[in-house]
Amino acid sequence: MQTAQGNAVQQLAAEAASEYLTFTLGSESYGIDILKVQEIRGYDCVTRIANTPLFIKGVINLRGVIVPIIDLRIKFNVGEATYHEFTVVIIINVLNKVVGIVVDGVSDVVALPAQSIKPPPELGASLDTRYITGLGTLNDEMLILVDIEKLIGSDELQIVESAVEDTQKGAVNQ
Amino acid sequence: MNRAAANSKGTGMTTPTGEKSSVDLNRFNEVFFEECAENLAEMEQILISLGDREPDHEEMNAIFRAAHSIKGGAGIFGFQDMTVVTHVMESLLDRLRNRETPFVPAMIDLFLEAGDAIAMQLAWHREGKAVDQEAIDRVRAKLQQAIEAGAPALEPPVEPEQGSPAPHEEELLPRRCRLAFTPDPEIFARGIRMESIISELTELAEPGEFACSARLMELPDLPELDPERCITCWEFTLLTRASREQVLDVFMFVADEEQLTIEEEPVDRRGPAEEPAPEETLLAPAGRRAYDSSEAAPGAFGRRGGEAESSIRVNVTKVDQLVNEVGELLITQAMLSQIVAGLDPVLHQALQRGLTQLERNTRDLQASVMSIRLVPISIVFNRFPRLVREMAAKLGKQVELKTVGESTELDRGLIERIADPLGHLVRNALDHGLESPERRVSCGKSPVGTLQLSASQVGGRIVVDVTDDGAGLNRGKILAKAVECGIPCSESMSDEEVWQLIFAPGFSTASEVTDLSGRGVGMDVVLKNVQAIGGRVQIASEAGRGARFTISLPLTLAILEGLSVAVGAEKFIIPLNVVLESLQPTAEQLKSVNGREVVQVRGEYLPILKLHRIFNLEAEVTEPQLGILVLVDADGERGAIMVDALLDEQQVVVKSIETNYRRVEGSAGATILGDGRVALILDIPELFTMHKRL
Repeated sequence: MQTAQGNAVQQLAAEAASEYLTFTLGSESYGIDILKVQEIRGYDCVTRIANTPLFIKGVINLRGVIVPIIDLRIKFNVGEATYHEFTVVIIINVLNKVVGIVVDGVSDVVALPAQSIKPPPELGASLDTRYITGLGTLNDEMLILVDIEKLIGSDELQIVESAVEDTQKGAVNQ
Repeated sequence: MNRAAANSKGTGMTTPTGEKSSVDLNRFNEVFFEECAENLAEMEQILISLGDREPDHEEMNAIFRAAHSIKGGAGIFGFQDMTVVTHVMESLLDRLRNRETPFVPAMIDLFLEAGDAIAMQLAWHREGKAVDQEAIDRVRAKLQQAIEAGAPALEPPVEPEQGSPAPHEEELLPRRCRLAFTPDPEIFARGIRMESIISELTELAEPGEFACSARLMELPDLPELDPERCITCWEFTLLTRASREQVLDVFMFVADEEQLTIEEEPVDRRGPAEEPAPEETLLAPAGRRAYDSSEAAPGAFGRRGGEAESSIRVNVTKVDQLVNEVGELLITQAMLSQIVAGLDPVLHQALQRGLTQLERNTRDLQASVMSIRLVPISIVFNRFPRLVREMAAKLGKQVELKTVGESTELDRGLIERIADPLGHLVRNALDHGLESPERRVSCGKSPVGTLQLSASQVGGRIVVDVTDDGAGLNRGKILAKAVECGIPCSESMSDEEVWQLIFAPGFSTASEVTDLSGRGVGMDVVLKNVQAIGGRVQIASEAGRGARFTISLPLTLAILEGLSVAVGAEKFIIPLNVVLESLQPTAEQLKSVNGREVVQVRGEYLPILKLHRIFNLEAEVTEPQLGILVLVDADGERGAIMVDALLDEQQVVVKSIETNYRRVEGSAGATILGDGRVALILDIPELFTMHKRL
């Protein structure tokens, strides 16, 4: 029910204008669907997990729930992976998982009309084009729109145990 | 249930959007399934408790009520196939209740069988399991037969609750009822509509024998008149054959007692009420409304509102969420305590006192919340009377089942997982343990064997015993079988060690495979299942006197006794049940075998598992003699885990990492420490595997 409603809301929004949360990784601006974002918090107290790729920083306690933290800057080689009091974690909720992603900073929530979103070029950003839904323009600045659900569900990130199975389930649910 | 029918009908009328209501209905289906399963269980429990005795009035009504609720619910939710068996069953029950059909003990088995048929249909609707239609038809035919056997063939057994003259004739005689109803002014705000009350009453009344009048109680001045307040009172006059309860049922949830008065006067102008019955059948054709209007099922409808609600149905996830949130509260409280500990006690005395109070309150709260998850073990024990009854009949043995300590509570998650192992032990005791009556008599024992299930709480664990007074385990037979199966053993083993042999995979002493037990996949599965929930199985046996299987379980899966240890900046939890001891080794104790470090403890060489190497951490201590070795024993495999320091022994709440991430090798979950940080709980067997790979 809830997802059905969520989808309906999404569809409505897509017809008019979708809202995106924009954030920066190094010098590039990215945007993700605001509906996938649960909350934004500071970076602290990460418990390391052994024998995981470098970009998996570990897990945190989010009000009693264990949430993995991924540093997209390490994964996509953008910017410098530094951690200070301004480092921000975006908690997203996709594929029935709650995951935190570390970014350099959160900028704004913007509404982009569907017609202003252009298809991604073949080789544009550091991010693989598979995970890019399009490029938006905002105040003459380019915004890379990320398909965060696809990214989190991908084999590359190894967050979802069997990525294929889960995306199939997701498709059925939709 | 009945009320739900009326309501769903009501919404159907006001919002004729079929799609919407079907979505809503799906949500209610689950409620029906659960209720149906509960009703079936209740019915079975009563039937079993009867033995071969005839049910008394109360029990009969309880069985009837269960069958009736299932049928009513099935009708409302559109599972017409489920109403078929229940309907015939209900008819038979009704006849029994009215003493039109004499009770015979075989009926209990028949009702049990019918219950199974309904359960099968339920499983089909719920989980899509296959239905054996033949079995259902068979049960139905048998029930029908029982009805016909008891009653002369003068009346067709269709809708007997209407067609048959019941002995309580005064209930069925038409009476004139005068109802005065003074609703409270807020009645409309509660969403109650007078027209639905009127239409329900109309259906209770004899055709054309209903009158209704309304009058104003007060007439406020126009500026004060609130159209949403009810200022009318009502008078209904009807000629009805319905019982007083049925009339009252119409006003259930509508009126308090003082708002309603009923005057009844019998009307003599008609004879015994056979004549109008067909009319009514026409008016209310078989279907859902038939229940509402014309069925004398005392208590069936009043159950919801009448009995004080002693329990509520809550989704488990909500409880888990509550447990989580209380866990968070504990952490926050621990954090506050840490801060306050750094303050000057003289200046902040009041704060400290308040905090102590808070600490006590949060602990109490945690205990209460944890207890929500606890359920009595009777839920599991109640499954066995039937199993024992049927198995004893099949095996030709006489068995008395005793249960002790049914009210012992344990975690809901454990209850579900203890049922299978217990069932196995019970079957084993019946099949292999208890002897046949002749054999028992020849051994000088009573022909009736005793099987006792008992549960109790001993310290922090729950102990469940399955005791039988049968032949006991046969040492010679077990050893011979072990040799046959190629399980290492010797004559010199102690009894305890011999009993442990039956837990080996593929072990079974039953000379032939029966459908009850003895496929040889028994005891090892029992042991595995029990171990999976942190339990142990012990056996005590005496030849000729019987055997006792003892399962001991932790109180809950959600909490674990752990030893917190530090390695570098990280903290880990070692489950306390695997910890043997911890020590700081001397240089003489440390040896090297094949380049692997081992420690010699009391003549035993144990491999040293360096956590910092397994988990690639930067540890403060890399040399065993400077650190601490925690000796562990997991499934018989022993080792020494090397850590920087021991921190604390504490109860931790087990959290899943897999919810939002994948499985982490070497960890059995995670927990949140007092400072709000996450610590991994170590999975010792997996650590051994990881260590061997290094």
